[in-house]
Amino acid sequence: MQLSWKDISTVPNANDLLDIVLNRTQRKTPTVIRPGYKITRIRSFYMRKVKFTAEGFNEKLDDILSGFPKVDELHPFHRDLMDTLYEKNHYKVSLAAVSRAKSLIEQVSRDYVRLLKFGQSLFQCKQLKRAALGRMATIAKKLKDPLTYLEQVRQHLGRLPSIDPNTRTIVICGYPNVGKSSFLRSVTKADVEVQPYAFTTKSLYVGHFDYKYLRFQAIDTPGILDRPVEDMNNIEMQSIYAIAHLRSTVMYFMDISEQCGFSVEAQVKLFNSIKPLFANKSVMIVFNKSDIIKIEDLSPERQELIKSITSQTGVDVAEISCQDTENVMATRNKACEKLLSARIEQKLKGVGKSNNVLNKIHVSTPQARDDVERKPYIPEAVQYLKKFDLDDPERRRLARDVEAENGGAGVYNINLKDNYLLDDDDWKNDVMPEILNGRNVYDFLDADIIEKLKALEEEEERLEKEGFYDSDSEIEDEEAEEIREKATWIRDKQKKMIHDARTRKSIKNRAIMPRSKQVKNYGDMEKHLASLGHDTTALANRKRSLRGSGYDERGADVVMDESGPSKKRKTPLKQGDKRNAGITDEVARAKAEKLAKIQRRDRNREARKGEGDRHQPVSLSKHLVSGKRGIGKTDFR
Amino acid sequence: MATRTQFENSNEVGVFSKLTNSYCLIAVGGSENFYSAFEAELGDVIPMAHTTIAGNRIIGRMTAGNRRGLLVPTQTTDQELMHIRNSLPDSVQIKRVEETLSALGNVICCNDYVALVHPDIERETEEIIADTLGVEVFRQTIAGNVLVGSYCALSNQGGLVHPQTSVQDQEELSSLLQVPIVAGTVNRGSSVVGAGIVVNDWLAVAGLDTTAPELSVLESIFKLQDNQPNAINTNLRDTLIETYS
Repeated sequence: MQLSWKDISTVPNANDLLDIVLNRTQRKTPTVIRPGYKITRIRSFYMRKVKFTAEGFNEKLDDILSGFPKVDELHPFHRDLMDTLYEKNHYKVSLAAVSRAKSLIEQVSRDYVRLLKFGQSLFQCKQLKRAALGRMATIAKKLKDPLTYLEQVRQHLGRLPSIDPNTRTIVICGYPNVGKSSFLRSVTKADVEVQPYAFTTKSLYVGHFDYKYLRFQAIDTPGILDRPVEDMNNIEMQSIYAIAHLRSTVMYFMDISEQCGFSVEAQVKLFNSIKPLFANKSVMIVFNKSDIIKIEDLSPERQELIKSITSQTGVDVAEISCQDTENVMATRNKACEKLLSARIEQKLKGVGKSNNVLNKIHVSTPQARDDVERKPYIPEAVQYLKKFDLDDPERRRLARDVEAENGGAGVYNINLKDNYLLDDDDWKNDVMPEILNGRNVYDFLDADIIEKLKALEEEEERLEKEGFYDSDSEIEDEEAEEIREKATWIRDKQKKMIHDARTRKSIKNRAIMPRSKQVKNYGDMEKHLASLGHDTTALANRKRSLRGSGYDERGADVVMDESGPSKKRKTPLKQGDKRNAGITDEVARAKAEKLAKIQRRDRNREARKGEGDRHQPVSLSKHLVSGKRGIGKTDFR
Repeated sequence: MATRTQFENSNEVGVFSKLTNSYCLIAVGGSENFYSAFEAELGDVIPMAHTTIAGNRIIGRMTAGNRRGLLVPTQTTDQELMHIRNSLPDSVQIKRVEETLSALGNVICCNDYVALVHPDIERETEEIIADTLGVEVFRQTIAGNVLVGSYCALSNQGGLVHPQTSVQDQEELSSLLQVPIVAGTVNRGSSVVGAGIVVNDWLAVAGLDTTAPELSVLESIFKLQDNQPNAINTNLRDTLIETYS
């Protein structure tokens, strides 16, 4: 939950708001428009202006609305505090006015944009825009009062102390001038003003202190007068809310010396009248200014009176003197202790939560599982070690000091070898090779390496002598031999297949001899068929019978072969000379060449570009063909 | 004595240092501030050394050790091993361990007498731990976490475990380890207590974010400066309930 509102952005007043938004519109939208432009362009120009202005207002007002806390979502303490300080209704009405203005401006923008769509001329559009902006400005100007009020609230909110209603809190209350602020001063570092007149403290003040490793907040409240709550002013109401809403220990301060200007009776009466607020809270009555008068020195009636309130259940009593700082800390601790015990009691009631914490306050002590003694090991020197103190000029020199003397971090490089524990200090910085003759030196660091090697070698020798490594008798029988043979065959075959596949692949893009042109003789075919296990006798007979009659060429063979049946063409078709195309004879050709030369002569003389020259048309350069035009659009850029 | 420090803006002190009763290893950093934080407390009582493990600065998580020995992972280079050997007294055995779970600091949590190890650690490693460190070895988990070294800070006088450890688990661990055990956090609520602090029998060093209640728990459970563990359920009880719930 948010506890302080220090970062709400400033709220501009109505005129500033107007200036900001209109100025922005002027700066951020195009400004030049001419009657000659297309009407759609003129309309969109003005629609943009109207929309932009509305957006500007919207943004600003949204900032204001989201920055301020929503009263209904706050902790009751903060809610009531804001109610007394800023008048909740006024605050809400102001925010509501801002919110309404926002929606009105949106409405205006929508309406005028709709009208602008039907604008017929530049002038008409312009007037519509003026009207729209004018109406928005009127709406904004009406926000004058809410905005000034909200700015004031913002400034005040930012200065409110950040009070956490759920943390450990001690509330200090009592009549004016009884020494509440001086107590806060003496237990915390808060710099509260202390003056010898009533209502020095006009609002809540917070101070923090530590007790038992925990952070406590002490809240100093303005003095309260004994009167009905309805009559109380805003200053007193803050105290009442602090007492009522914060789960805390309440320290009720009393001044029995009556230097504050209020009688003991009045103070007792006040205690009794605000007592209903102390329900579920621990209460301490603190008699301040004990250096002036103690309870024992009072008259018996008054003592009796005081006793009537101190004897109530759950009420503790303390006598302190902030002047002499007597009993102050003890009282503070007592209050904290009371608060803690109350809070813990409440926390341990919630079962789910307390389970989470039980293991953290449970120290398991070991059950002895054997009779071994496991003593801590603390060297003797620890006892005599002088405590390191940074302010002591005789303190030990640390590595950090050395570093600082030698140029500081990043400049000074420590020598890692300085702390070596070696037999001879001179050895510390000796350079040791890492690799020597291609071997890792560290593998040979063992002092007994020679002996170990010797032992290993001896063992090896012994084993060899004992015949440990002699291979077992030949157990290769025929079966194994066969398997080996098959394996070799399989390996060979695999290799061949791989090779074939590769050649097939490698041939991919090369000329392939067509099947029909490959020379195959009968003998090969017969052999191949025989290897596949076919009977070739029928084939041999057929061949023999064919040999006499010869082969009849038919179909395509006849068409393709001009030179007659069974004769293959050796040379390609004779092709005519291309230069002679269209020319009947040598004479005509000479004539044509002469004409062509004559035709070229002029051109060649002037070195002009001819039809045979390479020509590249210019491509369109962007920078030459785009940009602002005298008329027409520039949109395509 | 319990102190707070920081290693180059990191609060995980246990990652960058290893503290035992007979030596202290510190990561090589950009400045000497971290080293000097230890130096100021330790003086010359025990030897201290800057080191890296396999070129890394996370030495606290890579190594495991106690008064008698130090285990380094297989990735440690020969030069680093030599450097550590030269820097530590001869009474400390140093052993390189061939273990797939190479972040030994995360999988082993030990004091001078007992060690808890990751349940999946190899049998050979277990034997090496027992021999080198002279400890009884138990395969354990802490609050369901197998990384016992990360979630437990242990000395001969006490132990701090993962904040979610149940009371039964605590009892079991304490009877295994034979030291008082408490669950808690370090570094403002961090549950990786093993990586967040380093501790030996007279010194605890925690991250700079450690809160006052956390630090006082450390002092009590590790019996630093004559504090006793029972302070946790007497003097500190209120404070702890207030902070943790």
